[in-house]
Amino acid sequence: MSMSTQPLTPEIVSQEGNAMVLSMGPQHPSTHGVLQIMLEIEGESVVKAEPEIGYLHTGIEKTAESLFWSQAQTVIERMDYLAPSSNALCYALAVEKLLGVTDRIPERAQIVRVLLMELTRIASHCVWLGTHGIDLGAISVFFYCFDLRENVLDMQEATGGARMHPNYVRVGGLNGDLPDGYANRLDAFIEKFPGRMRELRGLLQANPIFQDRTIDVGILPIEEALKWNVTGPSLRGSGIAYDVRKAFPYCGYETYDFDVPTRTEGDAYARFLVRLDEMEQSHRIIRQARERLEKPGSVLLDDPKIVAPPKETIALSMEALIHHFKIVSEGFRVPPGDVYQSVESPRGELGYYIVSNGENRPYRVRTRPPSMYNLQALKGIAPGNLIADLVVMIGSLDPVFGEVDR
Amino acid sequence: MPSTQTPPLAGTAIDPPSLRPPIDDAVIERVEPSALRERLSALKAEGYTMLLDLGAVDYPERTPRFDVVYHLLKMPARAASVSEVGKPARTRLLCAVDGANPRLPSVMDLWSSADWAEREVFDLFGIIFEGHRDLRRIQLPYDWEGHPLRKDYPTRGAARERSPRPAFANKMNVQAGTPPSGRTLEALQEQIKRAREADSK
Repeated sequence: MSMSTQPLTPEIVSQEGNAMVLSMGPQHPSTHGVLQIMLEIEGESVVKAEPEIGYLHTGIEKTAESLFWSQAQTVIERMDYLAPSSNALCYALAVEKLLGVTDRIPERAQIVRVLLMELTRIASHCVWLGTHGIDLGAISVFFYCFDLRENVLDMQEATGGARMHPNYVRVGGLNGDLPDGYANRLDAFIEKFPGRMRELRGLLQANPIFQDRTIDVGILPIEEALKWNVTGPSLRGSGIAYDVRKAFPYCGYETYDFDVPTRTEGDAYARFLVRLDEMEQSHRIIRQARERLEKPGSVLLDDPKIVAPPKETIALSMEALIHHFKIVSEGFRVPPGDVYQSVESPRGELGYYIVSNGENRPYRVRTRPPSMYNLQALKGIAPGNLIADLVVMIGSLDPVFGEVDR
Repeated sequence: MPSTQTPPLAGTAIDPPSLRPPIDDAVIERVEPSALRERLSALKAEGYTMLLDLGAVDYPERTPRFDVVYHLLKMPARAASVSEVGKPARTRLLCAVDGANPRLPSVMDLWSSADWAEREVFDLFGIIFEGHRDLRRIQLPYDWEGHPLRKDYPTRGAARERSPRPAFANKMNVQAGTPPSGRTLEALQEQIKRAREADSK
């Protein structure tokens, strides 16, 4: 990339005839966060696009190394801020594998985890759809989406007390059972969802302007998708039915009945349709999980070396008091070893490679960030497209910068 | 033989991966840096179409010091249905890298996705990937000093001691020209110089 010493404006880095180096972002409204793209353009078309990331780097992986295993979960949950439960769950599953307690997690906890994962997927896709709509000038979609997301956030608030980062999924299960009245809210949501979904489809799916802007735009062929390590809905939009929930099931996903929607076109419209279909599949899973919730049960692992015993018991039992004190003051220890665990986050395969050296803090937490790899594919698909379509491509890859930069 | 147990690294005491409990998450192999590219090319030819992830771990008390970890996924190139994908094989390749002169061959030409992953490992661990076309810092500003995910990088202390780095002059966007506020680069540098002098008094 040629860069002259004196740029013409802060945005235009250099210009020679029709060729220009343009800096898009990092504060551009349609870059979904803080993304800068150095564009080499020829007239209106992109010759080369080089995304520059790192504007939101907060050193979460480093921070996690100096926290207890349970405290680290709090910062890890903040990576993908649109789907916090998927980060927390993936980390918890990895630690549980190292502890060797995966088979002992209560069934009810696994059901609620599945429920949370699918609710969070719907909420995350709502943000994606709303902002994607805004990027293309369809403002009203945003309000329908955020209304639906609001219901999910209310439910998240009921479980953990916080709307965005409930910290409800814990190593060993969940932080307490679902609160009273949760089932009613869930039923209302299940009831409301299909109608809302019809409205969302009605607003965009057959909209000629939306179709003009997305069909045949940002085509990601299968070879390109594999080369750039794209996962999640973006990969399925190119025709590969890889879904971690089916390929490497966790939390009993193999016992739920759902499909993996795929399209073969590989363009922005295909990715749009895959995500919409996925929301409907999530609704299907939520309905099944709702039925299973009828059976009461424990939601936390019964092992005082890992999970603090209930607070009520500490006034009655000396052992409970000691265990409580130990867990709070120095956390639990995890046997040495390393493990890779992945889940299907709304953006793709979210993975954690965790190393323990036997201490009460993680030795290393390496994230496999789906957004980062998906966004990187922009380098492959942007050349040859118009600048205006770049916005569509970014939107259709659905990056979340908390996770890209960590 | 492929196994789910990491082979211990000869002559080392501290090596958590070799102590791991039996967990069935991937087939694990260790590979020498000199044989890395050959092995990865062979795996790619075998059908490992995706380089799922590339990361690193620092073991300062161990020789060699770093582990660069490759996760590969055996994905059929045309798998239009869930049954065609099946249960894809996952392989973890650990490659130990010397701490004094950490260098590894780049695999960017085998999988384009290694581009940013290798840049990140370079940025946060200081491992140099030979043959990478554009090896610069990715998460941190280009004038950052040190590699934060190394275990000897301090997490406490005055910010300036951790990373002696001016507030924001010399950053690429400032150097490239007049900042939007209208101040010139010289004025900014002058201001930072004054602030530093005041600090050192």
